[in-house]
Amino acid sequence: MSLFQKYRNDFPILDKNNIIYFDNAATTLKPKRVVDSFEKYYNNFNSNVHRSSHKLSAESTKIYENSRKNIADFINAESTDEIIFTKGTTEALNLISSSLIRSDLISEDESVLTTTLEHHANFVSWQQYGKIFGKNVHYYKNNNGIFNEDDFIKLIDKKTKVIAFTALTNVTGQVTDIGKIINSARNINKNIIIVIDGAQYVPHFKTDVRKYDIDFIAFSGHKMLGPMGTGVLYGKKNILKKLPPYMFGGEMIDSVTTEDTTFNIIPFKFETGTPDVAGFYGLSEAINYMNETGTDKIHERVKELTMYALEKLKTLDFLDLYGTLDENQHSIVSFNVKDIHPHDVSQFLNDSDGIAIRSGHHCAQPFHKELGIYSSCRASFNFYNTEEEIDTLYDALLKIRRWFK
Amino acid sequence: MKLEDLYGDVIIDYAKNTKFKKHIEHNHEAHGKNTSCGDEIELEFNLNGDIIKDISYTGHGCIISQASTAMLCEALKGKNINSALNIINEVIKMSRGETFDKKTVDSLEMFEDISTLPMRVKCFSLSWHTAEEKLTEVKENDES
Repeated sequence: MSLFQKYRNDFPILDKNNIIYFDNAATTLKPKRVVDSFEKYYNNFNSNVHRSSHKLSAESTKIYENSRKNIADFINAESTDEIIFTKGTTEALNLISSSLIRSDLISEDESVLTTTLEHHANFVSWQQYGKIFGKNVHYYKNNNGIFNEDDFIKLIDKKTKVIAFTALTNVTGQVTDIGKIINSARNINKNIIIVIDGAQYVPHFKTDVRKYDIDFIAFSGHKMLGPMGTGVLYGKKNILKKLPPYMFGGEMIDSVTTEDTTFNIIPFKFETGTPDVAGFYGLSEAINYMNETGTDKIHERVKELTMYALEKLKTLDFLDLYGTLDENQHSIVSFNVKDIHPHDVSQFLNDSDGIAIRSGHHCAQPFHKELGIYSSCRASFNFYNTEEEIDTLYDALLKIRRWFK
Repeated sequence: MKLEDLYGDVIIDYAKNTKFKKHIEHNHEAHGKNTSCGDEIELEFNLNGDIIKDISYTGHGCIISQASTAMLCEALKGKNINSALNIINEVIKMSRGETFDKKTVDSLEMFEDISTLPMRVKCFSLSWHTAEEKLTEVKENDES
Protein backbone atom coordinates (compact mmCIF):
# COMPACT_ATOMS: atom_id res chain seq x y z
CA MET A 1 0.00 0.00 0.00
CA SER A 2 1.29 3.41 -0.89
CA LEU A 3 2.16 5.72 1.95
CA PHE A 4 -0.59 7.98 0.75
CA GLN A 5 -3.31 5.35 0.54
CA LYS A 6 -4.08 5.91 4.23
CA TYR A 7 -4.95 9.54 3.56
CA ARG A 8 -7.86 8.40 1.42
CA ASN A 9 -9.74 7.69 4.65
CA ASP A 10 -9.70 11.41 5.38
CA PHE A 11 -11.98 11.96 2.36
CA PRO A 12 -15.37 10.35 3.07
CA ILE A 13 -16.66 11.33 -0.38
CA LEU A 14 -14.41 8.63 -1.86
CA ASP A 15 -16.19 6.01 0.22
CA LYS A 16 -19.66 7.16 -0.65
CA ASN A 17 -19.09 7.31 -4.39
CA ASN A 18 -17.35 4.66 -6.32
CA ILE A 19 -15.36 7.19 -8.29
CA ILE A 20 -11.88 7.87 -9.52
CA TYR A 21 -11.53 11.58 -9.02
CA PHE A 22 -9.26 13.15 -11.63
CA ASP A 23 -10.87 16.60 -11.65
CA ASN A 24 -8.69 18.16 -8.97
CA ALA A 25 -7.75 21.18 -11.07
CA ALA A 26 -11.45 22.14 -11.08
CA THR A 27 -11.81 21.59 -7.35
CA THR A 28 -10.16 19.20 -4.92
CA LEU A 29 -11.95 16.90 -2.53
CA LYS A 30 -12.23 18.15 1.04
CA PRO A 31 -10.96 16.26 4.08
CA LYS A 32 -13.53 15.53 6.77
CA ARG A 33 -11.98 17.94 9.25
CA VAL A 34 -12.45 20.83 6.80
CA VAL A 35 -16.11 19.88 6.36
CA ASP A 36 -16.52 19.53 10.12
CA SER A 37 -15.19 23.01 10.70
CA PHE A 38 -18.41 24.42 9.25
CA GLU A 39 -20.50 22.65 11.84
CA LYS A 40 -18.10 23.69 14.55
CA TYR A 41 -18.19 27.33 13.48
CA TYR A 42 -21.95 27.68 13.11
CA ASN A 43 -22.73 25.71 16.28
CA ASN A 44 -20.27 27.59 18.47
CA PHE A 45 -19.21 30.96 17.13
CA ASN A 46 -21.63 32.23 14.49
CA SER A 47 -21.53 36.01 14.38
CA ASN A 48 -20.69 38.89 12.11
CA VAL A 49 -17.08 40.06 12.33
CA HIS A 50 -15.44 43.40 13.14
CA ARG A 51 -18.80 44.94 14.06
CA SER A 52 -20.45 44.12 17.35
CA SER A 53 -18.71 43.88 20.69
CA HIS A 54 -20.48 40.84 22.11
CA LYS A 55 -18.78 37.56 22.93
CA LEU A 56 -19.66 35.70 19.74
CA SER A 57 -18.56 38.58 17.59
CA ALA A 58 -15.25 38.69 19.39
CA GLU A 59 -14.79 34.93 18.90
CA SER A 60 -15.74 35.12 15.24
CA THR A 61 -13.42 38.03 14.59
CA LYS A 62 -10.61 36.15 16.29
CA ILE A 63 -11.25 33.06 14.16
CA TYR A 64 -11.41 35.12 10.98
CA GLU A 65 -8.20 37.02 11.69
CA ASN A 66 -6.39 33.88 12.88
CA SER A 67 -7.24 32.33 9.51
CA ARG A 68 -5.71 35.35 7.83
CA LYS A 69 -2.54 34.87 9.88
CA ASN A 70 -2.39 31.18 9.02
CA ILE A 71 -2.73 31.94 5.32
CA ALA A 72 -0.14 34.75 5.49
CA ASP A 73 2.34 32.31 7.07
CA PHE A 74 1.54 29.65 4.48
CA ILE A 75 2.83 31.86 1.66
CA ASN A 76 5.40 33.64 3.84
CA ALA A 77 3.74 37.05 3.60
CA GLU A 78 5.28 39.71 5.81
CA SER A 79 2.00 40.81 7.35
CA THR A 80 -1.70 39.95 7.52
CA ASP A 81 -2.35 43.42 6.01
CA GLU A 82 -1.29 41.86 2.74
CA ILE A 83 -3.93 39.11 2.72
CA ILE A 84 -7.24 40.11 1.12
CA PHE A 85 -10.07 37.61 1.35
CA THR A 86 -12.13 37.09 -1.81
CA LYS A 87 -14.63 34.59 -3.19
CA GLY A 88 -11.92 32.92 -5.23
CA THR A 89 -9.11 33.47 -7.71
CA THR A 90 -11.49 35.02 -10.24
CA GLU A 91 -12.60 37.73 -7.84
CA ALA A 92 -9.01 38.27 -6.69
CA LEU A 93 -7.83 38.78 -10.28
CA ASN A 94 -10.76 41.06 -11.07
CA LEU A 95 -9.95 43.06 -7.96
CA ILE A 96 -6.30 43.57 -8.81
CA SER A 97 -6.80 44.19 -12.54
CA SER A 98 -9.62 46.65 -11.93
CA SER A 99 -7.84 48.52 -9.14
CA LEU A 100 -4.47 48.67 -10.91
CA ILE A 101 -5.96 49.81 -14.20
CA ARG A 102 -8.06 52.49 -12.48
CA SER A 103 -5.09 53.66 -10.39
CA ASP A 104 -2.56 56.28 -11.41
CA LEU A 105 0.18 53.65 -11.23
CA ILE A 106 -0.31 52.95 -14.94
CA SER A 107 -0.16 55.95 -17.25
CA GLU A 108 -1.71 56.10 -20.69
CA ASP A 109 1.52 55.37 -22.51
CA GLU A 110 2.35 52.40 -20.30
CA SER A 111 0.93 48.92 -20.64
CA VAL A 112 -0.02 45.59 -19.14
CA LEU A 113 1.41 42.36 -20.58
CA THR A 114 -0.44 39.10 -20.15
CA THR A 115 -0.49 35.81 -22.09
CA THR A 116 -2.83 33.73 -24.21
CA LEU A 117 -2.25 30.79 -21.87
CA GLU A 118 -4.31 32.41 -19.16
CA HIS A 119 -7.54 31.28 -17.65
CA HIS A 120 -10.26 33.73 -18.74
CA ALA A 121 -10.13 35.28 -15.25
CA ASN A 122 -6.60 36.54 -15.92
CA PHE A 123 -7.20 37.40 -19.56
CA VAL A 124 -10.66 38.86 -19.99
CA SER A 125 -10.38 40.98 -16.83
CA TRP A 126 -7.28 42.84 -18.11
CA GLN A 127 -8.68 43.04 -21.62
CA GLN A 128 -12.02 44.46 -20.51
CA TYR A 129 -10.86 46.84 -17.74
CA GLY A 130 -8.17 48.00 -20.18
CA LYS A 131 -10.84 48.79 -22.76
CA ILE A 132 -13.18 50.52 -20.32
CA PHE A 133 -10.50 52.71 -18.75
CA GLY A 134 -8.36 53.29 -21.84
CA LYS A 135 -5.21 51.45 -20.76
CA ASN A 136 -3.03 49.35 -23.08
CA VAL A 137 -3.00 45.59 -22.72
CA HIS A 138 -0.60 43.44 -24.74
CA TYR A 139 -0.54 39.68 -25.12
CA TYR A 140 2.21 37.11 -25.36
CA LYS A 141 1.06 34.40 -27.75
CA ASN A 142 2.09 30.88 -26.86
CA ASN A 143 3.74 28.56 -29.31
CA ASN A 144 1.87 25.26 -29.71
CA GLY A 145 0.63 25.31 -26.15
CA ILE A 146 4.04 25.93 -24.59
CA PHE A 147 4.82 28.96 -22.43
CA ASN A 148 8.29 30.07 -23.50
CA GLU A 149 9.55 32.34 -20.72
CA ASP A 150 12.32 33.85 -22.91
CA ASP A 151 9.85 34.91 -25.60
CA PHE A 152 7.60 36.39 -22.93
CA ILE A 153 10.50 38.33 -21.38
CA LYS A 154 11.42 39.73 -24.83
CA LEU A 155 8.05 41.53 -24.89
CA ILE A 156 8.78 43.40 -21.65
CA ASP A 157 10.14 46.91 -22.05
CA LYS A 158 10.40 50.10 -20.01
CA LYS A 159 6.79 50.95 -20.78
CA THR A 160 5.51 47.63 -19.43
CA LYS A 161 4.06 48.51 -16.04
CA VAL A 162 2.35 45.23 -15.16
CA ILE A 163 2.99 41.63 -16.13
CA ALA A 164 0.21 39.17 -15.34
CA PHE A 165 0.76 35.46 -15.92
CA THR A 166 -0.05 32.04 -14.61
CA ALA A 167 2.42 30.11 -12.49
CA LEU A 168 0.93 26.80 -13.63
CA THR A 169 -1.40 26.67 -16.60
CA ASN A 170 -4.73 25.03 -15.96
CA VAL A 171 -4.78 23.53 -19.46
CA THR A 172 -1.49 21.65 -19.74
CA GLY A 173 -0.07 21.82 -16.22
CA GLN A 174 3.13 23.51 -17.43
CA VAL A 175 4.93 25.13 -14.52
CA THR A 176 6.19 28.63 -15.23
CA ASP A 177 9.69 29.60 -14.17
CA ILE A 178 8.44 32.52 -12.11
CA GLY A 179 11.85 33.28 -10.58
CA LYS A 180 13.39 33.76 -14.00
CA ILE A 181 10.57 35.96 -15.26
CA ILE A 182 10.51 38.15 -12.16
CA ASN A 183 14.30 38.65 -12.14
CA SER A 184 14.45 39.49 -15.83
CA ALA A 185 11.44 41.81 -15.62
CA ARG A 186 12.93 43.71 -12.68
CA ASN A 187 16.20 44.11 -14.59
CA ILE A 188 14.32 45.79 -17.42
CA ASN A 189 12.04 47.86 -15.26
CA LYS A 190 12.71 47.99 -11.53
CA ASN A 191 9.18 49.09 -10.64
CA ILE A 192 7.30 46.65 -12.80
CA ILE A 193 4.31 45.13 -10.99
CA ILE A 194 4.15 41.33 -10.95
CA VAL A 195 0.67 39.74 -10.83
CA ILE A 196 0.51 35.95 -10.68
CA ASP A 197 -2.43 33.62 -11.13
CA GLY A 198 -1.57 31.02 -8.52
CA ALA A 199 -4.82 29.03 -8.62
CA GLN A 200 -3.10 25.82 -9.75
CA TYR A 201 0.35 26.62 -8.34
CA VAL A 202 -0.22 27.42 -4.68
CA PRO A 203 -1.93 24.07 -3.93
CA HIS A 204 1.13 22.16 -5.19
CA PHE A 205 4.25 24.28 -4.71
CA LYS A 206 5.80 25.86 -1.68
CA THR A 207 4.85 29.45 -2.32
CA ASP A 208 7.16 32.06 -0.88
CA VAL A 209 6.09 35.55 -1.91
CA ARG A 210 9.14 37.16 -0.35
CA LYS A 211 11.71 34.81 -1.83
CA TYR A 212 10.38 35.45 -5.35
CA ASP A 213 9.54 39.10 -4.71
CA ILE A 214 5.99 38.62 -5.95
CA ASP A 215 3.79 41.75 -5.85
CA PHE A 216 0.42 40.04 -6.21
CA ILE A 217 -0.69 36.43 -6.29
CA ALA A 218 -4.26 35.15 -6.44
CA PHE A 219 -5.42 31.69 -5.40
CA SER A 220 -8.52 29.72 -4.41
CA GLY A 221 -9.27 27.81 -1.24
CA HIS A 222 -11.33 25.13 -2.94
CA LYS A 223 -8.46 24.02 -5.17
CA MET A 224 -6.35 23.26 -2.09
CA LEU A 225 -8.68 21.11 0.04
CA GLY A 226 -10.57 24.14 1.38
CA PRO A 227 -14.19 25.24 0.94
CA MET A 228 -15.69 26.71 -2.21
CA GLY A 229 -16.30 30.45 -2.08
CA THR A 230 -12.93 31.23 -0.49
CA GLY A 231 -10.02 32.90 -2.24
CA VAL A 232 -7.08 35.10 -1.52
CA LEU A 233 -5.30 38.00 -3.09
CA TYR A 234 -1.87 38.55 -1.64
CA GLY A 235 -0.59 42.06 -2.36
CA LYS A 236 2.47 44.01 -1.29
CA LYS A 237 1.53 46.55 1.33
CA ASN A 238 3.15 49.57 -0.30
CA ILE A 239 1.27 49.00 -3.59
CA LEU A 240 -2.05 48.07 -1.99
CA LYS A 241 -2.04 51.37 -0.13
CA LYS A 242 -1.90 53.26 -3.43
CA LEU A 243 -4.79 51.41 -5.06
CA PRO A 244 -8.45 52.44 -5.15
CA PRO A 245 -11.00 50.03 -3.62
CA TYR A 246 -12.68 47.42 -5.80
CA MET A 247 -16.11 47.30 -4.17
CA PHE A 248 -17.96 49.75 -2.00
CA GLY A 249 -20.13 49.10 1.04
CA GLY A 250 -19.92 48.43 4.73
CA GLU A 251 -16.75 47.67 6.68
CA MET A 252 -14.39 49.10 4.05
CA ILE A 253 -15.18 52.66 5.13
CA ASP A 254 -13.31 55.23 7.20
CA SER A 255 -15.74 58.13 7.06
CA VAL A 256 -18.71 58.93 4.88
CA THR A 257 -20.41 62.24 4.14
CA THR A 258 -22.64 63.26 1.27
CA GLU A 259 -19.64 64.95 -0.32
CA ASP A 260 -17.17 62.11 -0.23
CA THR A 261 -15.91 59.00 1.52
CA THR A 262 -12.55 57.95 2.90
CA PHE A 263 -11.67 54.31 3.19
CA ASN A 264 -10.54 51.87 5.83
CA ILE A 265 -6.93 50.70 6.11
CA ILE A 266 -5.68 47.65 4.22
CA PRO A 267 -6.69 44.86 3.90
CA PHE A 268 -10.20 45.97 4.95
CA LYS A 269 -10.32 48.64 2.24
CA PHE A 270 -10.74 45.76 -0.21
CA GLU A 271 -13.21 43.66 1.76
CA THR A 272 -16.83 44.66 2.07
CA GLY A 273 -20.04 42.96 3.09
CA THR A 274 -20.34 40.08 5.50
CA PRO A 275 -17.52 37.65 4.75
CA ASP A 276 -17.65 33.86 4.65
CA VAL A 277 -16.14 33.43 8.11
CA ALA A 278 -16.90 29.71 8.29
CA GLY A 279 -15.34 29.31 4.84
CA PHE A 280 -12.06 30.93 5.84
CA TYR A 281 -12.10 28.98 9.09
CA GLY A 282 -12.35 25.89 6.87
CA LEU A 283 -9.57 27.12 4.58
CA SER A 284 -7.36 27.61 7.60
CA GLU A 285 -8.13 24.04 8.62
CA ALA A 286 -7.23 22.86 5.10
CA ILE A 287 -3.89 24.63 5.45
CA ASN A 288 -3.32 22.93 8.82
CA TYR A 289 -4.07 19.62 7.13
CA MET A 290 -1.61 20.34 4.31
CA ASN A 291 1.07 21.48 6.75
CA GLU A 292 0.64 18.35 8.87
CA THR A 293 0.71 16.09 5.83
CA GLY A 294 3.70 18.00 4.51
CA THR A 295 3.42 20.29 1.51
CA ASP A 296 6.71 18.92 0.15
CA LYS A 297 5.40 15.35 0.47
CA ILE A 298 2.18 16.31 -1.32
CA HIS A 299 4.26 17.93 -4.05
CA GLU A 300 6.44 14.85 -4.53
CA ARG A 301 3.50 12.48 -4.56
CA VAL A 302 1.63 14.52 -7.17
CA LYS A 303 4.82 14.76 -9.24
CA GLU A 304 5.10 10.94 -9.19
CA LEU A 305 1.51 10.51 -10.25
CA THR A 306 1.80 13.09 -13.04
CA MET A 307 4.92 11.46 -14.45
CA TYR A 308 3.37 8.01 -14.15
CA ALA A 309 0.28 9.16 -16.05
CA LEU A 310 2.31 10.98 -18.70
CA GLU A 311 4.56 8.03 -19.42
CA LYS A 312 1.60 5.68 -19.57
CA LEU A 313 -0.57 7.84 -21.81
CA LYS A 314 2.36 8.63 -24.13
CA THR A 315 2.28 4.97 -25.20
CA LEU A 316 -1.24 5.33 -26.61
CA ASP A 317 -0.80 6.39 -30.22
CA PHE A 318 -4.45 7.41 -30.62
CA LEU A 319 -4.04 10.22 -28.10
CA ASP A 320 -2.93 13.78 -28.77
CA LEU A 321 -1.20 15.03 -25.62
CA TYR A 322 -0.69 18.73 -24.92
CA GLY A 323 2.05 20.55 -23.06
CA THR A 324 5.74 20.04 -22.42
CA LEU A 325 5.19 16.32 -21.64
CA ASP A 326 8.14 16.29 -19.27
CA GLU A 327 8.94 17.06 -15.63
CA ASN A 328 7.87 20.67 -16.21
CA GLN A 329 4.31 19.43 -16.11
CA HIS A 330 2.68 19.11 -12.73
CA SER A 331 -0.67 17.72 -11.57
CA ILE A 332 -2.35 18.01 -14.98
CA VAL A 333 -2.35 15.89 -18.14
CA SER A 334 -4.45 17.09 -21.08
CA PHE A 335 -5.27 15.13 -24.19
CA ASN A 336 -7.68 14.33 -26.95
CA VAL A 337 -8.66 10.91 -28.23
CA LYS A 338 -8.28 11.22 -32.00
CA ASP A 339 -11.62 11.69 -33.76
CA ILE A 340 -13.64 11.53 -30.55
CA HIS A 341 -15.11 14.63 -28.95
CA PRO A 342 -13.89 15.35 -25.38
CA HIS A 343 -17.47 15.37 -24.07
CA ASP A 344 -17.98 11.86 -25.35
CA VAL A 345 -14.67 10.77 -23.84
CA SER A 346 -15.49 12.17 -20.41
CA GLN A 347 -19.02 10.80 -20.51
CA PHE A 348 -17.70 7.36 -21.45
CA LEU A 349 -15.03 7.39 -18.72
CA ASN A 350 -17.70 8.28 -16.19
CA ASP A 351 -20.22 5.70 -17.35
CA SER A 352 -17.77 2.85 -17.88
CA ASP A 353 -15.41 3.18 -14.92
CA GLY A 354 -16.59 6.06 -12.74
CA ILE A 355 -13.64 8.22 -13.78
CA ALA A 356 -14.18 11.94 -13.32
CA ILE A 357 -12.22 14.17 -15.69
CA ARG A 358 -12.90 17.60 -17.15
CA SER A 359 -13.76 18.17 -20.77
CA GLY A 360 -14.21 21.46 -22.57
CA HIS A 361 -12.11 24.56 -23.08
CA HIS A 362 -11.26 24.88 -19.34
CA CYS A 363 -12.08 28.61 -19.47
CA ALA A 364 -9.09 29.14 -21.76
CA GLN A 365 -10.40 29.71 -25.28
CA PRO A 366 -7.39 31.67 -26.64
CA PHE A 367 -5.13 28.82 -25.49
CA HIS A 368 -7.19 26.18 -27.28
CA LYS A 369 -7.43 28.33 -30.38
CA GLU A 370 -3.66 28.46 -30.62
CA LEU A 371 -3.46 24.71 -30.21
CA GLY A 372 -5.85 24.49 -33.16
CA ILE A 373 -8.49 22.64 -31.15
CA TYR A 374 -11.84 23.60 -29.68
CA SER A 375 -11.60 21.65 -26.47
CA SER A 376 -9.71 18.92 -24.67
CA CYS A 377 -9.87 16.34 -21.90
CA ARG A 378 -8.04 17.06 -18.67
CA ALA A 379 -7.07 14.60 -15.97
CA SER A 380 -5.73 16.30 -12.86
CA PHE A 381 -4.29 14.62 -9.80
CA ASN A 382 -3.88 15.08 -6.10
CA PHE A 383 -2.04 13.11 -3.45
CA TYR A 384 -5.01 10.85 -2.66
CA ASN A 385 -4.98 9.44 -6.19
CA THR A 386 -3.19 6.20 -6.97
CA GLU A 387 -1.26 4.52 -9.77
CA GLU A 388 -4.00 1.88 -9.93
CA GLU A 389 -6.52 4.59 -10.75
CA ILE A 390 -4.30 5.80 -13.58
CA ASP A 391 -4.09 2.22 -14.86
CA THR A 392 -7.89 2.15 -14.93
CA LEU A 393 -7.91 5.36 -16.95
CA TYR A 394 -5.44 3.82 -19.38
CA ASP A 395 -7.59 0.71 -19.81
CA ALA A 396 -10.75 2.78 -20.20
CA LEU A 397 -9.15 4.84 -22.98
CA LEU A 398 -8.43 1.60 -24.85
CA LYS A 399 -12.08 0.64 -24.36
CA ILE A 400 -13.24 4.00 -25.78
CA ARG A 401 -11.16 3.48 -28.85
CA ARG A 402 -12.78 0.10 -29.44
CA TRP A 403 -16.32 1.27 -28.68
CA PHE A 404 -16.39 4.18 -31.09
CA LYS A 405 -14.40 2.57 -33.86
CA MET B 1 -28.65 6.61 -18.60
CA LYS B 2 -26.61 3.53 -19.40
CA LEU B 3 -23.59 3.64 -21.68
CA GLU B 4 -25.31 1.32 -24.15
CA ASP B 5 -28.30 3.67 -24.35
CA LEU B 6 -26.32 6.85 -24.72
CA TYR B 7 -23.74 5.48 -27.11
CA GLY B 8 -25.76 2.73 -28.75
CA ASP B 9 -25.24 1.77 -32.39
CA VAL B 10 -28.16 3.83 -33.68
CA ILE B 11 -26.90 7.04 -32.11
CA ILE B 12 -23.32 6.46 -33.24
CA ASP B 13 -24.59 5.68 -36.74
CA TYR B 14 -26.55 8.91 -36.86
CA ALA B 15 -23.51 10.85 -35.63
CA LYS B 16 -21.28 9.36 -38.31
CA ASN B 17 -23.80 9.42 -41.14
CA THR B 18 -23.07 12.37 -43.40
CA LYS B 19 -26.39 12.32 -45.26
CA PHE B 20 -27.39 15.68 -43.81
CA LYS B 21 -23.91 16.98 -43.01
CA LYS B 22 -23.21 19.10 -46.06
CA HIS B 23 -23.94 22.45 -47.65
CA ILE B 24 -27.11 22.76 -49.70
CA GLU B 25 -28.69 25.44 -51.78
CA HIS B 26 -30.53 27.40 -49.13
CA ASN B 27 -32.44 30.60 -48.46
CA HIS B 28 -32.15 30.59 -44.67
CA GLU B 29 -29.35 29.71 -42.29
CA ALA B 30 -28.95 29.67 -38.54
CA HIS B 31 -25.91 29.56 -36.31
CA GLY B 32 -25.85 28.01 -32.86
CA LYS B 33 -23.06 27.94 -30.30
CA ASN B 34 -22.65 26.08 -27.05
CA THR B 35 -20.67 28.55 -24.96
CA SER B 36 -19.62 26.01 -22.37
CA CYS B 37 -17.73 23.78 -24.79
CA GLY B 38 -17.32 25.85 -27.95
CA ASP B 39 -19.37 23.50 -30.13
CA GLU B 40 -20.89 25.21 -33.14
CA ILE B 41 -23.62 24.21 -35.53
CA GLU B 42 -24.75 25.81 -38.79
CA LEU B 43 -28.18 24.86 -40.11
CA GLU B 44 -29.19 25.55 -43.71
CA PHE B 45 -32.83 25.59 -44.75
CA ASN B 46 -34.26 25.58 -48.20
CA LEU B 47 -37.80 26.82 -47.68
CA ASN B 48 -40.44 26.75 -50.33
CA GLY B 49 -43.25 28.88 -48.92
CA ASP B 50 -43.63 27.40 -45.47
CA ILE B 51 -42.39 23.94 -46.46
CA ILE B 52 -38.90 22.83 -45.44
CA LYS B 53 -37.92 21.42 -48.81
CA ASP B 54 -34.40 20.63 -47.70
CA ILE B 55 -32.27 21.01 -44.60
CA SER B 56 -28.64 20.32 -43.73
CA TYR B 57 -26.02 21.06 -41.11
CA THR B 58 -22.30 21.68 -40.73
CA GLY B 59 -20.14 22.35 -37.70
CA HIS B 60 -18.44 20.43 -34.96
CA GLY B 61 -19.58 18.78 -31.79
CA CYS B 62 -19.81 15.60 -29.80
CA ILE B 63 -21.65 12.44 -30.81
CA ILE B 64 -24.77 13.51 -28.93
CA SER B 65 -24.96 16.86 -30.69
CA GLN B 66 -24.12 15.42 -34.11
CA ALA B 67 -26.62 12.56 -33.84
CA SER B 68 -29.29 14.86 -32.49
CA THR B 69 -28.74 17.32 -35.36
CA ALA B 70 -28.86 14.60 -38.01
CA MET B 71 -32.13 13.38 -36.51
CA LEU B 72 -33.45 16.93 -36.47
CA CYS B 73 -32.81 17.21 -40.20
CA GLU B 74 -34.52 13.90 -40.82
CA ALA B 75 -37.51 14.86 -38.68
CA LEU B 76 -38.01 18.33 -40.15
CA LYS B 77 -37.38 17.68 -43.85
CA GLY B 78 -40.59 18.01 -45.80
CA LYS B 79 -42.60 19.45 -42.91
CA ASN B 80 -44.27 22.83 -42.88
CA ILE B 81 -43.06 25.40 -40.37
CA ASN B 82 -45.93 24.89 -37.94
CA SER B 83 -45.55 21.17 -37.66
CA ALA B 84 -41.75 21.54 -37.53
CA LEU B 85 -42.12 23.93 -34.61
CA ASN B 86 -44.48 21.50 -32.96
CA ILE B 87 -41.94 18.66 -33.23
CA ILE B 88 -39.17 20.92 -31.93
CA ASN B 89 -41.34 21.96 -29.03
CA GLU B 90 -42.10 18.39 -28.00
CA VAL B 91 -38.46 17.32 -28.35
CA ILE B 92 -37.28 20.23 -26.19
CA LYS B 93 -39.93 19.35 -23.60
CA MET B 94 -38.63 15.79 -23.60
CA SER B 95 -35.05 16.98 -23.12
CA ARG B 96 -36.16 18.97 -20.08
CA GLY B 97 -37.81 15.95 -18.50
CA GLU B 98 -41.31 17.38 -19.01
CA THR B 99 -44.31 15.45 -20.33
CA PHE B 100 -44.22 15.21 -24.11
CA ASP B 101 -46.15 13.70 -26.95
CA LYS B 102 -44.45 10.43 -27.85
CA LYS B 103 -46.06 10.20 -31.26
CA THR B 104 -44.72 13.59 -32.31
CA VAL B 105 -41.25 12.87 -30.97
CA ASP B 106 -41.18 9.50 -32.70
CA SER B 107 -37.74 7.83 -32.90
CA LEU B 108 -36.13 10.70 -31.01
CA GLU B 109 -37.62 9.09 -27.93
CA MET B 110 -34.35 7.17 -27.67
CA PHE B 111 -32.98 10.40 -26.17
CA GLU B 112 -35.67 10.55 -23.49
CA ASP B 113 -33.18 10.02 -20.63
CA ILE B 114 -30.90 12.84 -21.77
CA SER B 115 -32.87 14.96 -19.28
CA THR B 116 -31.10 13.06 -16.49
CA LEU B 117 -27.73 14.34 -17.71
CA PRO B 118 -27.80 18.10 -17.15
CA MET B 119 -24.37 18.61 -18.72
CA ARG B 120 -25.38 16.83 -21.91
CA VAL B 121 -28.83 18.36 -22.43
CA LYS B 122 -27.09 21.36 -24.00
CA CYS B 123 -25.25 19.09 -26.45
CA PHE B 124 -28.51 17.48 -27.41
CA SER B 125 -30.67 20.57 -27.67
CA LEU B 126 -28.28 23.05 -29.34
CA SER B 127 -29.54 22.41 -32.87
CA TRP B 128 -33.18 22.25 -31.74
CA HIS B 129 -33.00 25.66 -30.10
CA THR B 130 -31.14 27.01 -33.14
CA ALA B 131 -33.83 25.70 -35.50
CA GLU B 132 -36.64 26.91 -33.26
CA GLU B 133 -35.28 30.43 -33.20
CA LYS B 134 -34.83 30.61 -36.97
CA LEU B 135 -38.19 29.05 -37.89
CA THR B 136 -40.04 31.26 -35.40
CA GLU B 137 -38.36 34.28 -36.95
CA VAL B 138 -39.34 33.18 -40.47
CA LYS B 139 -42.89 32.51 -39.35
CA GLU B 140 -43.25 35.91 -37.69
CA ASN B 141 -41.83 37.68 -40.74
CA ASP B 142 -44.30 35.87 -42.99
CA GLU B 143 -47.20 36.81 -40.77
CA SER B 144 -46.28 40.49 -40.50
